[in-house]
Amino acid sequence: MKNKVFKKSLRKVLSIISNLLRAKSVEYVYVELRELENVFTLIVLGSFIGLPSPPTTISLRLLPYMAREIIVSMSVSSRLSDMLAEMAGLFEIT
Amino acid sequence: MERNFKVVFFMGKGGVGKTTCAAAFALGVSTKRKTLIVSLDPAHNLGDVFDVKLGDEPKRITDNLYAVEVDFEKMISKHLKSLTDKVKDIYGYLRVLNLDRYIDVLRHSPGIEEYATLDKIMEILKSNVRSGKYDIIVFDTPPTGLTLRIMALPSISAIWIEKLMKLREAILDRRRIIEEITGEKIKAVIKGEEFEIPSGKEEDPIYKELIHMKREIDFINSIIKDSKVSMAVLVVNPEVLPIFEAKRALEFLSKLGISVQYVIVNKVLEISEMASLPKELMTKLNQEREALQLINNYFKEQVVINIPLFYEEPKGLDKLTVFSKYLSKLINNVVI
Repeated sequence: MKNKVFKKSLRKVLSIISNLLRAKSVEYVYVELRELENVFTLIVLGSFIGLPSPPTTISLRLLPYMAREIIVSMSVSSRLSDMLAEMAGLFEIT
Repeated sequence: MERNFKVVFFMGKGGVGKTTCAAAFALGVSTKRKTLIVSLDPAHNLGDVFDVKLGDEPKRITDNLYAVEVDFEKMISKHLKSLTDKVKDIYGYLRVLNLDRYIDVLRHSPGIEEYATLDKIMEILKSNVRSGKYDIIVFDTPPTGLTLRIMALPSISAIWIEKLMKLREAILDRRRIIEEITGEKIKAVIKGEEFEIPSGKEEDPIYKELIHMKREIDFINSIIKDSKVSMAVLVVNPEVLPIFEAKRALEFLSKLGISVQYVIVNKVLEISEMASLPKELMTKLNQEREALQLINNYFKEQVVINIPLFYEEPKGLDKLTVFSKYLSKLINNVVI
């Protein structure tokens, strides 16, 4: 009985460690993905902030599908005032 | 891909006689092949040249000749409707706040007119690929500046679409990596609802839309850049300014890979008796001679066709038939 409980607990601990390691390993990929999505939004909808952008029709045709990208861009822009903290957080500098 | 029809674009500075040349050419060529002539000039006068009232649907002029004056308002509205409908569908909650009418302002976005015109050209060509109704399609274009912007759009769009597709592929790659490592789909919460974020090219609506646009652009490029199917004809007057503009247009079109095989010099004064001419007219004739020399220097690889100044306006089918005789070289080339 004790053995069973021990095995179950061990499995749980290993699973948590495994999930932690996985989350850690994709952390940088997440950041890269977020920035790529942000760049994509800036390129497609750049005309709104004065950047060169594709012909209007291309932007308009992509606009309806870009809800997530716009949300990502907004969250990135809200953190832009403290880029140092953002980078420090990413590289775990405390 | 082998196309069983030909496309001819008439281009030139405003007022040089593009519409008259295009109409006479279409009339001449229609004696041998079924022809459609389309006026893309927002200031239409194709109907005036044929002396017939034209509209947005092909109207029969002769047995083998049909003509259309594109309705620009309708064309832009149609082009925008599909775009705004999608935006309104997805951001439907804007209706509750009565904000959806602001989306209608999109019709005033820069570049919409050019894209709508390109859309119309594409619609006509696609429909002809499907139906095979016309053997020859003639486009009477707006003045040079706008026409060149329209003709450049497929190439410019192709560059943008290619870059956006590469960037999108990089995004989808990262999403796949994350999914493979974490073993689950990435989720996002939008307006309180949880969505799974697509990671495959075939499920990502943005990538699918880019592919769709690429197909359309490839289609139009495959027609306008194929010298066996399409050609541009430059129309000039024997005056220096239209010639300079035509030369710049030729260079621009060559960069885009669009073939220009003919230059029509319209309204050439042909006076045999020079002795009794007033001084002003003599000066004009000398300038014209210089302009014709300039044309021969600038357009060495093109066939140059001179058309004399008609002392009566070439309006109506009879006069256009006489006019079309001067274009026989061009007509025979296209008909073969």
